[in-house]
Amino acid sequence: MTVAAGIGYALVALGPSLSLFISVISKKPFLILTLLSSTLVWLISLIILSGIWRAFLPLNSTSWWPFAILIFSSVAFQEGLRLLFWKVYKRLEDILDAFADRVSKPRLYLTDKMQIALAGGLGHGVAHAVFFCLSLLTPAFGPATYFVDRCSQIPFFLVSAIIALAFVTVHTFSMVIAFNGYAEGNKLDQYFVPSVHLAAGMMTLINFAYDGCVIGIPLLFLMAILTLMHCGRMVWRRLADNQRQGIS
Amino acid sequence: MDIKNFFLILLFSIWFRSSLSGQTNSMESVPDLQKSMYMAVDGYPCVRLVNLSGEIGCSNPGRDKVVSPIIKYKNNKGLAQPSAILLSMDDVQGFFSRVSNDSSFARNVGGVLVESGVAIQHKQKGFSPAQKFPQAAFAPYLNTTYEWNPIGSGIMWKSYNFPVFLLSESSTSALQEIAMKNEKAEKAYTKNVAEFDVVMQTTKVGTHDSESCLTEETCLPLGGYSVWSAVPPINNSSSKQSKPIILTVASMDAASFFRDKSLGADSPISGVISLLAAVDALSHVDGLDDLKKQLVFLVFTGEAWGYLGSRRFLLELDKQSDAVHGLDSSLIQLVMEIGSTGKGLSQGNKTFFAHTKVSSGANEALDALKLAQESLKSEGVTVSNASSSNPGIPPSSLMAFLRKNSSTSGIVLEDFDTVFANKFFHSHLDDSANINSSSIVAAASLVARTLYLLASDKKDLTNSALSAINVNASLVEELISCMLKCNPGLSCELVSSYIKSTNTCPNHYVGVVLGEPSSTPYPDQVDDVSRFVWNFLADRTSTPKGNTSVCSEDCAKNGGLCIRAELDGKGVCVVSTTRYVPAYSTRLKFDSGTWKVLPPNSSDPMGMLDPVWTESNWNTIGLRVYTIQEAAYDRLVLLGGITVTVFAYLAIVLTRAYITKALKQD
Repeated sequence: MTVAAGIGYALVALGPSLSLFISVISKKPFLILTLLSSTLVWLISLIILSGIWRAFLPLNSTSWWPFAILIFSSVAFQEGLRLLFWKVYKRLEDILDAFADRVSKPRLYLTDKMQIALAGGLGHGVAHAVFFCLSLLTPAFGPATYFVDRCSQIPFFLVSAIIALAFVTVHTFSMVIAFNGYAEGNKLDQYFVPSVHLAAGMMTLINFAYDGCVIGIPLLFLMAILTLMHCGRMVWRRLADNQRQGIS
Repeated sequence: MDIKNFFLILLFSIWFRSSLSGQTNSMESVPDLQKSMYMAVDGYPCVRLVNLSGEIGCSNPGRDKVVSPIIKYKNNKGLAQPSAILLSMDDVQGFFSRVSNDSSFARNVGGVLVESGVAIQHKQKGFSPAQKFPQAAFAPYLNTTYEWNPIGSGIMWKSYNFPVFLLSESSTSALQEIAMKNEKAEKAYTKNVAEFDVVMQTTKVGTHDSESCLTEETCLPLGGYSVWSAVPPINNSSSKQSKPIILTVASMDAASFFRDKSLGADSPISGVISLLAAVDALSHVDGLDDLKKQLVFLVFTGEAWGYLGSRRFLLELDKQSDAVHGLDSSLIQLVMEIGSTGKGLSQGNKTFFAHTKVSSGANEALDALKLAQESLKSEGVTVSNASSSNPGIPPSSLMAFLRKNSSTSGIVLEDFDTVFANKFFHSHLDDSANINSSSIVAAASLVARTLYLLASDKKDLTNSALSAINVNASLVEELISCMLKCNPGLSCELVSSYIKSTNTCPNHYVGVVLGEPSSTPYPDQVDDVSRFVWNFLADRTSTPKGNTSVCSEDCAKNGGLCIRAELDGKGVCVVSTTRYVPAYSTRLKFDSGTWKVLPPNSSDPMGMLDPVWTESNWNTIGLRVYTIQEAAYDRLVLLGGITVTVFAYLAIVLTRAYITKALKQD
């Protein structure tokens, strides 16, 4: 591979995030701050998890169930952190609304709240992509390529970029769904997010099987599209409801 | 209750941990990933050597690494694109002659990888990349078309502008697999390539002859340090030396197409081993001080590259320099050279040939050889005169002596008569399997007894006196395993009791002259074999036996030498006459930090013929193998990434516009 391929892989993993950043997030400084802080929170969660799991590493790569436990515990921890993130955000929302009242400016619109959630989710997604794909990409800029035995049709770097893209999508839109679920008290949305996150995580275990990536990756993308569609439907419903009620 | 729970959790976590951490062959970091992408191949390179008029050897064609796909050589097929060619030993000669003759074929040769391993065919035919008459220009006779080495193809004396590597045995099988994978072309857009890094400084700077490269300091001259030793030690304080000198000579440097695999077992290391064993045998004889003649043993280096050792020795003798202090060239009565002695064994008998130019001194030596042969009759040792149909002596250091002074009496003892018995002359296949230790022992016995006969000058020596001179066969075996095998190699007991060697696998390429040549060089200027020979000879020729002390400053003052100085402890002080003599071209002079080529001088006829060999400098030499994707695939990936980004951007913009429009908000 060469510089061209290296840039290509980076764009596959992070291109849509870049587009989202440029078109939506960069317009409002508060969103940039939200994105950075959620990236930081996600990385801290990884540090804590790795601190706990360090004692058990390296895992035996021939059996898959230790990895299942690893993924389960990590997802559970991160979902718990998401709840915490939500609580912090709620307090921040109250502070911002109070401030807006004092200076006689309008309060946070629904779209603003959704954008904040989007920024939070994007922060998680970018952190995942950088940590699990970009950090491995340095050898991709050299002349050689690499194929893993168990997924010998596609170069390794392409596989990791595609998986990172799927996870970015899942993380970004899950946050919107989750914040909405907590705000509305909608149980479906509240349980949807952790389940999808866990399912997506477990699906990566399919890659352990010989040529499993041929099945695993499309399934992962299915999860991503599911998240996207559910988010779209939920957003549409909320905005339609809002309009009908005349609340701006 | 709580404590019980706590213990349960502790037990669970311990069991869990022990079942989890197990053997993994997975990577743990990005550097591990990088390492598994690139496979480093160990091999022996062919490097660029430069002389006064041009170059030989191999090099990358420019400053960059050469990257080419690996294919196996088929001599009936051409090459479609620049490739790295995997050659088997049988095809080597045919391949290189094809490269020299067919320039369109040569253009597509990116690099060459030569397999090594057990192949029977070439073992019977023989393989020699040297010339048919090695160093013919230096012969003291006119017939330079005589073929001493008829198998010689001369391929190592041509210049190639592509890198060539000899693979080690383990790499050979790995690369054969890779070549097969390339042929099957399982994945259409990937190729397995070899990356050669044999960038030579002379190519980079553009200095293609010795004079310019020495001035630009992009190369160094070939050379090393010869060793001489006197039996018994020459007493400096006594009155002028008047004993006639018998010089016994051997050479310790070999050459090969691949500089790091120059073993030269039969030619010439068997001769060195015979010489060392003969010295050892003679050192056990009493009454050496009463000998009528002075025995001097001389081990030259650099002989394969223009007789550098012998020519420089003769020049130093003329200049009466420190290196040869105690030797008077007018006293040299006979030069006995021990050539190849490893292949004299046939059906239990060991046969050797004495090549000589007819003279009275030579006749005397031949008579002594015959007497020595008589005493060794029970062991089936025979010495015959070389055939008179030979044009003269075979390529040997004696040629340098004869060119200097054509009346020198000399004999060359070889294991062949009209053509080399060595089918692997100057090739990497001239290894310990090519020689026989009993042949070397026989030659050493012959030489030791002949020298004793000549030096004691008693025609009626009894057989019992001669039969007291015996060569230690186990010493010869040990020397073979130290100097010609990788295991134990130069870390064997014998060698490590004298020096601390830098490499384990012995290599007898002469190397380059490091720093300023002097008669008292530092240990890091002299290579392992020379240092071992110096220590061994100093030890064996020292008198009196057993009177040794720890080295101190007084040692040199009392005419002693410090041997075993590199080991822990200060070394041992012995009384011996053993010295280094620098070996480099007589046309070169080391002047204020750089080498200068001297103009040809008619008083040095061999110097006028000397090509003045130098070796190019280089930064690193390496060979890697990895898989690449085709450029089209890379561009496709880039396009895919850009498409995904642009598509996402458009989708987001559209969604935003749609939402804004649908809500009629800002």
